Amino acid sequence: MPTAYPLPSNVAPGTVANTASLIRIVALALISGAAIASRLFAVINFESIIHEFDPWFNYRATRVLASKGFYEFWNWFDPTAWYPLGRVVGGTVYPGLMATSGVIYNFLHAINLPVDIRNICVLLAPGFSALTAWATYMQVFTKEMKDSSAGLLAAAFIAIVPGYISRSVAGSYDNEAIAIFLLMFTFFLWIRALKIGSALFGTLAAVFYFYMVAAWGGYVFITNMIPLHALVLIVMGRFSNRLYVAYSSWYAIGTLASMQVPFVGFQPVKTSEHMGALAVFGLLQIVAFAQLVRSHVSDQQFQKLLKMGVIVIGLLGTVTFGVLTLKGWIAPWTGRFYSLWDTGYAKKYIPIIASVSEHQPTAWPSFFMDLQFLIFLFPAGVILCFRQLRDEHLFVIIYAVMASYFAGVMVRLILTLTPVVCVTAAITLSSLLDTYIDPSEPDVVDDSKSEANSATTPGTPANGATQPTPKKAKKAAAASTSQSTLSSTINELTSSTSPASKKSGAPRQKGIFGIDSRLLIITHTLFMLVYFVIHCTWVTSHAYSSPSVVLASSNPDGSQHIIDDFREAYYWLRQNTPQDAVVMSWWDYGYQIAGMADRPTLVDNNTWNNTHIATVGKAMSSSEEVAYPILRKHDVDYVLVIFGALIGYSGDDINKFLWMIRIAQGVWPDEVQESSFFTPQGDYRVDERATPTMRNSLMYKMSYYRFADLYGGNQPMDRVRQQQLPKQSPTLDYLDEAFTSENWIVRIYKVKNEDLLGRDLKSANAFAEGKKRKRSKPVPRRKALTV
Amino acid sequence: MVAFSKLFWLAVAFASSVYAKSSTGDSVLVIVEPKKRDDYNIFFDGLREKGYELTFRSPRADSPVLIEDDVPNFSHVVLFASESKSFAKDISPQSLVTLLNQNTNLLIALSTKQTPLTSLAAEFSLTPAPPGTPLISYFPERSDAPNVIPISIPKTHSQIITANTAPVWYSGTSFALGNNPLLVPILSAPAHAFAAEVDGGSADSLVDAAEKGGEGLWAGSQLGVVAGFQARTGARIVWTGGVEMFSDEYAQKEVAKGVPSGNKQFAQDTAAWAFQESQVLRIDKIEHHKLNATAPSEQYTINDQLIYTAYISKFNPDKGTWQPYSGLKDLQLEFTMLDPHVRVALPADKGTPGKYSVQFRAPDRHGVFKFIVDYKRKGLTHLFSSTTVPVVPPRHDGYPRFLSAAWPYYIGAISTSVGFFLFSTIWLAGEIKEVKKGKGHKAE
Repeated sequence: MPTAYPLPSNVAPGTVANTASLIRIVALALISGAAIASRLFAVINFESIIHEFDPWFNYRATRVLASKGFYEFWNWFDPTAWYPLGRVVGGTVYPGLMATSGVIYNFLHAINLPVDIRNICVLLAPGFSALTAWATYMQVFTKEMKDSSAGLLAAAFIAIVPGYISRSVAGSYDNEAIAIFLLMFTFFLWIRALKIGSALFGTLAAVFYFYMVAAWGGYVFITNMIPLHALVLIVMGRFSNRLYVAYSSWYAIGTLASMQVPFVGFQPVKTSEHMGALAVFGLLQIVAFAQLVRSHVSDQQFQKLLKMGVIVIGLLGTVTFGVLTLKGWIAPWTGRFYSLWDTGYAKKYIPIIASVSEHQPTAWPSFFMDLQFLIFLFPAGVILCFRQLRDEHLFVIIYAVMASYFAGVMVRLILTLTPVVCVTAAITLSSLLDTYIDPSEPDVVDDSKSEANSATTPGTPANGATQPTPKKAKKAAAASTSQSTLSSTINELTSSTSPASKKSGAPRQKGIFGIDSRLLIITHTLFMLVYFVIHCTWVTSHAYSSPSVVLASSNPDGSQHIIDDFREAYYWLRQNTPQDAVVMSWWDYGYQIAGMADRPTLVDNNTWNNTHIATVGKAMSSSEEVAYPILRKHDVDYVLVIFGALIGYSGDDINKFLWMIRIAQGVWPDEVQESSFFTPQGDYRVDERATPTMRNSLMYKMSYYRFADLYGGNQPMDRVRQQQLPKQSPTLDYLDEAFTSENWIVRIYKVKNEDLLGRDLKSANAFAEGKKRKRSKPVPRRKALTV
Repeated sequence: MVAFSKLFWLAVAFASSVYAKSSTGDSVLVIVEPKKRDDYNIFFDGLREKGYELTFRSPRADSPVLIEDDVPNFSHVVLFASESKSFAKDISPQSLVTLLNQNTNLLIALSTKQTPLTSLAAEFSLTPAPPGTPLISYFPERSDAPNVIPISIPKTHSQIITANTAPVWYSGTSFALGNNPLLVPILSAPAHAFAAEVDGGSADSLVDAAEKGGEGLWAGSQLGVVAGFQARTGARIVWTGGVEMFSDEYAQKEVAKGVPSGNKQFAQDTAAWAFQESQVLRIDKIEHHKLNATAPSEQYTINDQLIYTAYISKFNPDKGTWQPYSGLKDLQLEFTMLDPHVRVALPADKGTPGKYSVQFRAPDRHGVFKFIVDYKRKGLTHLFSSTTVPVVPPRHDGYPRFLSAAWPYYIGAISTSVGFFLFSTIWLAGEIKEVKKGKGHKAE
């Protein structure tokens, strides 16, 4: 057989196998190392700190769990959140993440490693990303989606792909940190259970499904993916007892287990999102029953029975579902769910969902940013899955279709797309490499023979799946050279057992000649891989490792300048205000205030109460006189605003202000109107042309209070909105400036007490400044007589 | 800090004198023109008798200052320089309000002349009559000038003035009272009195004044001549339209043959109220706990039976001590989260003086609640107490374990378990061949 390059001939097959498995282990270890290491940019560039917003709550909850134990955590009522409503944390939280950290914490302390809980929280996500890489490897390899080299590639991809790193850098202590691992592992167990029809693996899948339910609201994705897979299998006529056993054990145990999570409760049997799984479960029973009946009655009778049965059951099911929905036993689909189908829905009806930046539809560049060259290997991988189309390939295809759609709808759902992109891209790339590294060259045959052969085996392409064909044939011919033994060993290691290889014994007609073409493709592929690594490293270090609590900018000389206004302000609150001082801010900062300043907040990132958030929005968008009674009623002591106009921090409250107005308008359409904040030309302005409503709003006043003083008589400049502000700063009567951070990013105002003498604070201020009050007239006590 | 300074003053009060004292301190600054100082000796002696230490200062003198290093130097300030147009730098309307803010009491006299204090009165919702228009009455017929009026004290008046005090002589301006709830009317003008120029008596000036004032004639019993005001800090200020009512002359003047005027008594009573001697209440402490418990809980569960207790004392000026006081009949307790969820009467406990206690059921609503006692009555110190407690849902093991309504489910679960057990037993103990066959089939 001609080969493109010489193969060593004196290696025992056992040695090759051992070396290969050693290399696999080493490679996996290195991949895990890379997964963890690339996520440590955040710690190295900044410090070991919890990032962003939600992680601060998770961190705070974990501290409670670690210090007070699980039962206290379960019963934890947080009186400082959503003041004065409070939050039943134990019943409104996915406790999986905290429980995981708690277990690790207790374990480490049990073996006398006194690790601080904060470090566990910070490093949990990188640790689990290594596990994710392993789970991906298992999924691709063990399920024989392809082979171990594809598995290693997939593991390497998921280890460093930015789409996953964005949610799992060190310090990003969020539910997704462990959820992606659980997602992959549950899918792995499901496919395993389906493949061997094992109730054990079905149960294991249910157990990990339960873990997933306890960890992330995105568990609904599994809840619908697995039934969808099962449904497609049934429709394709691939029903088998394996499917029945796997699905039934997964569904029954998984649903019962998921109902043990207090936050989920009876949702799995009551809400529409979970009805698909139940319906498929019922369908499976019917199909299984039909199979049983078919094996006992004649075909004709069965046909009749089937028709009758399908009609009756279909009618019955529809009527039941309809009645239950109408009666309210099954909750209608939630707004978040609708917004997945209609991207404009949230903006119209639930501004609070639309106001979150990660709920926006995904822009094209972010696909490339997050997945780089994987995104164009992805379709090829899906097509390669079609070539074999075993049950597990079907799963990957369905997953790919669903996840692509959802990733297009919401930015944050790129996260669920990432694993399947890594898997399919790995299949593509590994097929490509298999084809071009394979040393065997096609036999040169005359045209007539090749035509005949191509007619008998149509559609036999030059890909990895059909590579083994000639070698198998050769082996069958008992060519007893060590080279052939070696090549067959390599064959077993590198390629999947394709059904095509069994039946075809013809010599290959298609292939690659020579080493140059091989080198060209392989070099190019390697170049792409290397560039992928460079891209991932760059994106990770520059875009995804910022804690957002600490900002970085660079000095003119290129050195890093840390902007630490948030912590400065939060620690000011912590050290200078009474323990029970209530702080009002927009909900974005609720968790951070609770976590870092340890003060009660009105609203936070758990946006469960729209009215309460609208109340804050109303207070922010109304004039001082209107806002003051609201502040007093809610016992607000301090108001915190984020102001970026000085240093050009664009994520400030004035830019979020329109969402506050919209949310407030949703509840008080008569008192707050979005249109009154726009100039007649329809611009959103903060300069001289700003509308009076805008200029009188509490948010505007608090943001620009004394801002002009900084410019010493020059025209003040808003560097975020690029507008020139009036030289006269707004005045405040009902609030006192209490604190402004170094770069003015955080401004804190103290709400004044009611006036000593019962006046309104505006006239009290005027008096204190020595302004003459207009001579007031006595209140008329006599009323005109009316006839 | 505030509590400490109060304690300190109490200690001083006990140490220095056995006489009655104010609840806030006994140092008094009297700002009065030096030449008029001797006109008010009876009033000042009365104060000294009670144990106050009087310091005198001329309105234009620089010392002693009112506020030094942001701390008031005196517990009470009497401003009798009612006709001074200019004061020393530290005596300004703003600094007087600052004094109130620091719980210093004031007694301020106005006059018919326009002074800085006239504009200050406006901040207290008082509208003094236009300058130059004293209160005038031609009834009852008497030999005195029409602007020297005897005012009898109504029987049904507030408890500030001792009952059955003889009528008092009054001379000075009057003011209309605004509708500020913090105002405490002490003495009103007689029904037949009005504000006008004394001897000109021309109708024009009356019309002028009426137009300026905006509400017809300045006349009748709606006009106040002495009014108290209780600031939100508890500090008290008394405004009077004429300083003469505190003078020796009026104190000795007879209102009828053989009947001395009530001015002396009235002056002392007014000062007692202004200096926080009389009608001073405080909440000593509050307690709350569950029924059948003694210690307060950090948080309560919904539907708990709660017991709230407040201990209230009244200052006894005769002994200079705080004594438990059970005399409040209309005290209320609110259990509030945004809105009051529970509002109940807080009755006095008969067994223990000064103890007010009530038992009620916590609402069926979790959240951060406040026990609020908010008692505001004219003349009395405002009582306010707010205690925050979270009310939480039952613990996970706090719900009833077995519900009789759930028996169908229990039976369902038990029967399924038993059925499964029986089925497995029969299945496993039964035909082994079929099992094997089935397994082999599955594994394919």
